[in-house]
Amino acid sequence: MRRRSSKDVWEGEVLHRLRAGVASVLLLLVIGAAPACRSRYADLDLSCYSYRDTRRLVQHVYDAARLLQEEGLAGLTQFRERSGRFRTDEFYLYVYRTDGTNLYHAGMPELEGRNLWEVTDKDGKPITQLVLEALRDPNNPHAWVHYSWWEPGSFYPVPKSSCHFEVATPEGEKLFVGGGLDYPHEEREFIRIAVDSAADLLEERGSEALLQIADPISAFNYRDVRVFVFRENGEMLVAPAINSTFSQTNLLECADEVGHRPFAHALGALEASEAVWEIFMARSRYQTRLLRKCLYVRKAAWDDGEAYIAAITDLPQPPY
Amino acid sequence: MAGRRGYGVNELPPATHLLVSSLQHVLLMVTSLVIPILFASQLGGSPEFTAGLIAFSMLAAGVGSVIQSVGLPFIGSGYLCPNVCGPSYFSVSLSAAWIGGVALTRGMTIVAGAVEMALAPLIQRLRRVFPAFIVGLVVAMVGVSILAPAISSFFGLALRDDAIRSADMIIGGVSLLVMVLANLWGRRLAKMYCLLIGTLVGWGLAVILAPEYWHDLAAASDLPMLAVPSLGSSFRGITFDLRMVIPFVVIAVSGSLKSFGNLLAAQGISEPGLKETDFAPIRKGLLADGFSTVLAGLLGGVAVDTSSSNVGLAGATRVTSRWIGVGAGGIFVVLAFFPRLILILSAIPRPVMGASLIFAGSFMVCTGMKQMFSEPWDERKTFVVGISFFFGMSTAFLPGLYARTPRLVQTFFTDPLPTATVVAVLVNQLLGLDRLVSRWRWRQRRRR
Repeated sequence: MRRRSSKDVWEGEVLHRLRAGVASVLLLLVIGAAPACRSRYADLDLSCYSYRDTRRLVQHVYDAARLLQEEGLAGLTQFRERSGRFRTDEFYLYVYRTDGTNLYHAGMPELEGRNLWEVTDKDGKPITQLVLEALRDPNNPHAWVHYSWWEPGSFYPVPKSSCHFEVATPEGEKLFVGGGLDYPHEEREFIRIAVDSAADLLEERGSEALLQIADPISAFNYRDVRVFVFRENGEMLVAPAINSTFSQTNLLECADEVGHRPFAHALGALEASEAVWEIFMARSRYQTRLLRKCLYVRKAAWDDGEAYIAAITDLPQPPY
Repeated sequence: MAGRRGYGVNELPPATHLLVSSLQHVLLMVTSLVIPILFASQLGGSPEFTAGLIAFSMLAAGVGSVIQSVGLPFIGSGYLCPNVCGPSYFSVSLSAAWIGGVALTRGMTIVAGAVEMALAPLIQRLRRVFPAFIVGLVVAMVGVSILAPAISSFFGLALRDDAIRSADMIIGGVSLLVMVLANLWGRRLAKMYCLLIGTLVGWGLAVILAPEYWHDLAAASDLPMLAVPSLGSSFRGITFDLRMVIPFVVIAVSGSLKSFGNLLAAQGISEPGLKETDFAPIRKGLLADGFSTVLAGLLGGVAVDTSSSNVGLAGATRVTSRWIGVGAGGIFVVLAFFPRLILILSAIPRPVMGASLIFAGSFMVCTGMKQMFSEPWDERKTFVVGISFFFGMSTAFLPGLYARTPRLVQTFFTDPLPTATVVAVLVNQLLGLDRLVSRWRWRQRRRR
């Protein structure tokens, strides 16, 4: 057997130390990274959201609301700090009085001090008024509002979804704080809120509610989402794709790309529950695979019978 | 006895090594359980339905792995090439479930398995169309085919276009580093169990850095430890529908090509001394793969497929004993009766899974390339490999492009692996026409 030379021994020692060093660094990394904290969002239910982006925005706005609740208007100075935790590249905050007066706007400081109660987006959506409606809606716990806006400094419209929290400051001011996502993900929760709110409205106001549900600038219509209403026999009261029911299609007869009848199936399931989710396949000319979409249907008492309120949105897609 | 090569294909490792190595493979296999979980959630299935679907899928994959690895006289390759829940069947199975419920999914899965079994004997006749360099290309493309799930998992991505957390990148990076360093610098045991070590370190780090990974684990306490998979009302009946035959046959052919690549890779790492491909075990392996799919349909699980990442792991650790495949399959069958353990194992953090897939995939890509360039090279091979590589990869880079092509093109240009394989075979035959003609002329001259 060959005896190891002193060079071999030395190299072996160096290698051994190098390995031990790497192992120690890894161990330190594991131990040093251990956070010893309890979640400050324990009372914030985020389980209804599929995307991290959405959850992070709600947490960010919630943090801002808590700060204002504790420190009052003095908390706005923290929002204004350029390197503070409330300034991120992903989203910005704004604070309004409930009468529509802007107190703080991270993206457009020129709006501060102005009353924006009447401001609308390019489609005519009264944004501030919709925020106040959303804050009063028990179906919308994080007061989501969907509209068109523009990125500060740019000149083209971007779709936006914003969440809001109402705050009563120690000074006695009633404010709301909000923040939004440009090009937001289509969360299933968004159509759940729209459909449940429309169902409550229909039960409360009857036929009068149909006009409001069909109104393109109401909270029931945003981007490609449209809340629609139909009867048990499939007759449409508010059509799912156009602003009129001039062409009646029996929704119960409608089938998806693989022959599945989502409406007929949903009505069967609704015999045992108040609301159901249905998944169906749609074709896109830009994709070889079929797209999965989802339909949320809720039933409501209406006109001595039942009406079905529904909306359709994209289903979150796997990453590949 | 284990030499520098770990354990050879026919070696039976000692009980402890057999158990730990099998567990290491099971850790990779459980990543595929996301398929039945997602399938059940898309159908709005109850927790009982989901539990049943997972259990039956595990039973089919486990039994299939045992048959594949043990190597019976007429069925099974005798290589370490376990079965897992097949992602390629996901979309068509879901379509079948929406049209005719689980009964139709079962029926069509049986049809797909039967098609795979019918294709198996043809493989032996394809000897001429699969020269060594095309076999190498197919093996490399098997590695490439796990690129998308590997990288998206490494970054902790669960949904397309969602935010990426720094914590996930650290977890993935550390896991991969530990796996690679244990493999490169580790002595016998560390090298042999590099994936297991990396997984445990990454998992520990994930629990510390990201509380949601701890919550995933804690959720297991709600499940019973032991439960016999139940045949609920949803699992009754087996039906067939002519409308679904073509989509299932297309996927079955694509699945066969993928398993063909996996089995070729398994042979390459298990029997490195072979001068040329031995198609007999490949044929028996494809038969076992088809049989497992039929079994999945009969039992009521999702369709199963051979696992590229497990073959990669075997190659990286040089532990290729088929008995480990038998052990992993056996453990999978037993685990089907332990819902709590299933949930714990399937809670492996996504970045750790991604690291495992990159680790195994790197080996597959390089094994294929080595095999491809192991014989003398010429321009003809350059064009065969280059053209098929371009078209194969284009399905991943430009999926939208193929959506605008005629249906016939869409049928074959689906994913990098089947596309590259089909194009390579066709181009090789086309560019070999001159040789065919000269051979024919030579024969004609001899006759005269």
